[in-house]
Amino acid sequence: MDQEIVRTICYLARLEIDADKAQKIEQDLETIIELIGGLSSIDTDNIEPLYSPLEKTAFKHEDILNSDNQKEKFLQNAPNSNNDYFLVPRVVE
Amino acid sequence: MSIQFKSILELRAMLDTKAISAEELTKETLQLASKLEALNCFVTMNKEASIKKAIEIDQNAAKNSVLSGIPLGQKDLFCTEGLRTTCSSKILSNFIPPYSATAVSNLEAAGSITIGKTNMDEFAMGSSNETSFFGNVHNPWKKGYVPGGSSGGSAASVAAGIIPAATGTDTGGSIRQPAAHCGITGIKPTYGRVSRWGMIAFASSLDQAGPLARTAEDCAILLNIMSGHDPKDTTSLDVESHDLTQSLNKSLKGLKFGIVKEFNLGDLDTEVQKRFEDSKVLYESLGVEFVEVSLPNISASVPTYYSIAPAECSSNLSRFDGIKFGHRTEQPKDLADLYIKSRSEGFGDEVKRRILIGTYALSAGYYDAYYKKAQQVRRLIKNDFENAFNSVDLIMTPTSPNTAFGFGSKGSQNPVELYLEDLFTISANLAGLPAISIPHGTVSSLPVGLQLIGNFLREDQILNAGHIFQQHSEFHLMKPNMEDFG
Amino acid sequence: MTWETVIGLEAHVQLSTKTKLFSRASTTFGQSPNTNVNLIDCGLPGVLPSVNKEAFYKAIRFGMAVGSQINQTSVFDRKNYFYPDLPKGYQITQMDLPIVLGGTIDIELEDGTNKTINITRAHLEEDAGKSIHDEFEGYSAIDLNRAGTPLLEIVSEPELSNAKEAVAYMKALHQLVTFLDVSDGNMSQGSLRCDANVSIRKIGDPILGTRTEIKNINSFRFIEKAINFEIKRQIKQLEKGESVTQETRLYDSIKDETRPMRSKEFANDYRYFPEPDLLPVVISDKEMQDIRDNFPELPKDKELRFASEFGLTSYDSKILASSKAMADFFESSAQELKNYSLLANWLIGEISAFLNKDNVEIHESKLTPLNLAMLINRIDDQTISGKIAKSIFEEMYSSGKTPDEIIDDQGLQQISDDGEIEKIINSVIKGNPTQVEGYKNGKDKLFGFFVGQVMKETQGKANPQVVNELLKKKLS
Repeated sequence: MDQEIVRTICYLARLEIDADKAQKIEQDLETIIELIGGLSSIDTDNIEPLYSPLEKTAFKHEDILNSDNQKEKFLQNAPNSNNDYFLVPRVVE
Repeated sequence: MSIQFKSILELRAMLDTKAISAEELTKETLQLASKLEALNCFVTMNKEASIKKAIEIDQNAAKNSVLSGIPLGQKDLFCTEGLRTTCSSKILSNFIPPYSATAVSNLEAAGSITIGKTNMDEFAMGSSNETSFFGNVHNPWKKGYVPGGSSGGSAASVAAGIIPAATGTDTGGSIRQPAAHCGITGIKPTYGRVSRWGMIAFASSLDQAGPLARTAEDCAILLNIMSGHDPKDTTSLDVESHDLTQSLNKSLKGLKFGIVKEFNLGDLDTEVQKRFEDSKVLYESLGVEFVEVSLPNISASVPTYYSIAPAECSSNLSRFDGIKFGHRTEQPKDLADLYIKSRSEGFGDEVKRRILIGTYALSAGYYDAYYKKAQQVRRLIKNDFENAFNSVDLIMTPTSPNTAFGFGSKGSQNPVELYLEDLFTISANLAGLPAISIPHGTVSSLPVGLQLIGNFLREDQILNAGHIFQQHSEFHLMKPNMEDFG
Repeated sequence: MTWETVIGLEAHVQLSTKTKLFSRASTTFGQSPNTNVNLIDCGLPGVLPSVNKEAFYKAIRFGMAVGSQINQTSVFDRKNYFYPDLPKGYQITQMDLPIVLGGTIDIELEDGTNKTINITRAHLEEDAGKSIHDEFEGYSAIDLNRAGTPLLEIVSEPELSNAKEAVAYMKALHQLVTFLDVSDGNMSQGSLRCDANVSIRKIGDPILGTRTEIKNINSFRFIEKAINFEIKRQIKQLEKGESVTQETRLYDSIKDETRPMRSKEFANDYRYFPEPDLLPVVISDKEMQDIRDNFPELPKDKELRFASEFGLTSYDSKILASSKAMADFFESSAQELKNYSLLANWLIGEISAFLNKDNVEIHESKLTPLNLAMLINRIDDQTISGKIAKSIFEEMYSSGKTPDEIIDDQGLQQISDDGEIEKIINSVIKGNPTQVEGYKNGKDKLFGFFVGQVMKETQGKANPQVVNELLKKKLS
């Protein structure tokens, strides 16, 4: 786990680490990755991953409308909005 | 008559005999909570609405059912319509949900009164409640000691006798471990038993809601009401629900309890071992036969968990981006700045650590070695349990290797030290199995818990085993001395 | 040096379900901002997705029509990236186990020959919301109405060789998805759009060149222009001895050029993993059979049926059956009348000309099948002449009124009453003695003059057959 990797995952996660904590976090990540890395000694050839403890299938809903307009409630919770939209600093595409 | 330390059934009797009205009960509960404010159990109180609902319940007393007028705490990760829901995080410190979690709606529809939202580890990430943005919760048994986590506020408020029960969620032990550290009873149901709709996700394939209460019987009452199929959660099980209170008081004669060979209980603190042996003797006297079972991959459960849970969390927590709700940094320079500053200011260190680990485990080049590998090991662990349950009815372990510890004493140097506290509890989440923790004595005046893990959907068996234990012991009646808290 | 172009298309087809892929909010286009949004679409904490059955059925119908393998068990994955119109910080899509695998689509080339294009896969995913960048000073505004709308992303193999083929492929896709009732195919509303992967290599080179991806092109015309621009740009680049950068580009229709996207959000590690909030979705054998049993008629079958059922020429049948909107319109109109070939003539001739001029499809116009049938019937029963029918049609087309209303309002009924026409003929004969003289002296051509005069007097409403008969009698 080098600084470059930490920088990349920080970027992917949109997080920044305070300079004074950077070394500690790096070290913590290293320790945790080492813990997880211990799994490599277990033989998992031909073992299907278990992504959910329920080996069942999803319920499908009917294509029937069931929703009301809650625009005002949603926009109220937004840090910045006008009467119609959520607002963010202008993006240039 | 004081309402402190009363169970749901005791309060029910007081309400039914008119020894107290729902309004009086609610007001006294709120007073008790404010008297014991130093415990820091609650993040938000629901004073006016609680009293209003209690008055309505008094007016319709003829329609009362078991939970009518019973005050409850809701872990602050369940969305509650119109009532602030923070996950004990700065990023949600002003979030007022426009809807309620199914588990909460079910409890409220049954007449219970949500008196407040309980403190917790931030986004349920922690085993000591020390990661809360709203400060540590004290263990009612000892000031300056952790209540366990992440449902620390729920456990402490019940242990302090403020409320008879509270909801919790359990991703790796977050109901059972604080229940153990606080000397109360808590159950994590089978994955899919309680709807996750409205429960703010930490790790979707591991999270499960359940109750913390003074007795196994009260847990059965609450779980009856919290659970049930919910079409809004496609991982919610569509199974026939039985009244769990009907399965209590069944004889344990002839049941086989498994002791896990790989847990090396001999390595534990001798007093913790001793409590475990005592409980074994008690169960044997009730006709239980103990059998050694092997879970060969169990030692991998901690690393497996610490790959899967952060991976899911890293994605689940992406929606906290400062755009539609929650904290946004002041005057962002541009969009990138908005994301990075809002999230970095809004999340605490442990949450950041887990998001980063999860991001790493899912990133190109590492996915197979960490995330996929962990999900494969997870299947091995589940298979181990399936094999074990071929020969036993349930599995008994300590809930936690240690009692509660002092603030700041664990994990600050090395986070993995704290992660290992979850050794006994994590596997039930990985396999989706139900597990209960009941108090079974103290070590150095701090409670210790006994864990019973049941087979898939066999909450009835572990609740009954817990209930019978409580019929033949008084550990669940122990009360902390709370002079230090006012 | 000679170059060849390799193009692969990723088409996004918006499925015509009433509700979203993972919520039961409406998918109706053009609503006021953020009103078709529920808790799930807004990505609020604690919400969970559930799967829309109909979206699966539509995707499967497409797969069956192109001869794909249908994965009866399919799995959703999360694609993680941050963008303001992506409410959860991830898109739910299908990565390893898409619903549709393989299949082929035939396209018709300009020389009339066919080419078969292989489909790699088609998967279900949710659309993002919409960002509006230029309406508010200093801000981008987010509208989540579209967030969660079901999309079928259809990925072709890189087998298209030029812009025209790419357009032909998209047209074939458009025809297919509209006939299957999988999508309304409305390109101006974004119901069908595509990303084009374009690369250039020397003819005969076995290795593909570096490709660029042109994002989000939403009209046949722009597909052709964007790809042609990109081909020229890449060739220029290579001929200068420079390499092509692998990147995502946007087509600017005003400047008619492509340029690299500035936002870095797309240079990402998406960290796909199975969506833990959704269990695998399984389609039962019975559901598959139900889809097969209710399969919509495709253009070829429709063409044959139109010929046999309505006695249309093979040319008319083919044209009417090539557009879903036209075919549907024909069939509902046909229920109200007998003269099918007259109906077909009108649709293929006059009406298509009007629609082309306005660049709309028939179901988007003010015409209704019932009104058109009424017009055809009035021609057929001789209430109006063909000539007057055209002016009535223009009025119908612009106002949406029924033909009978227009006929009544403007008094356009054909005059077939012998007495009335006789009166007018008499006055015409009286008023034009010189011409009568001439006709009687053998100038047969003057007959047309008399007809014209009668028509003029009646503003064209006189039944021409009656006029002919009476005139002949009077002038002999």
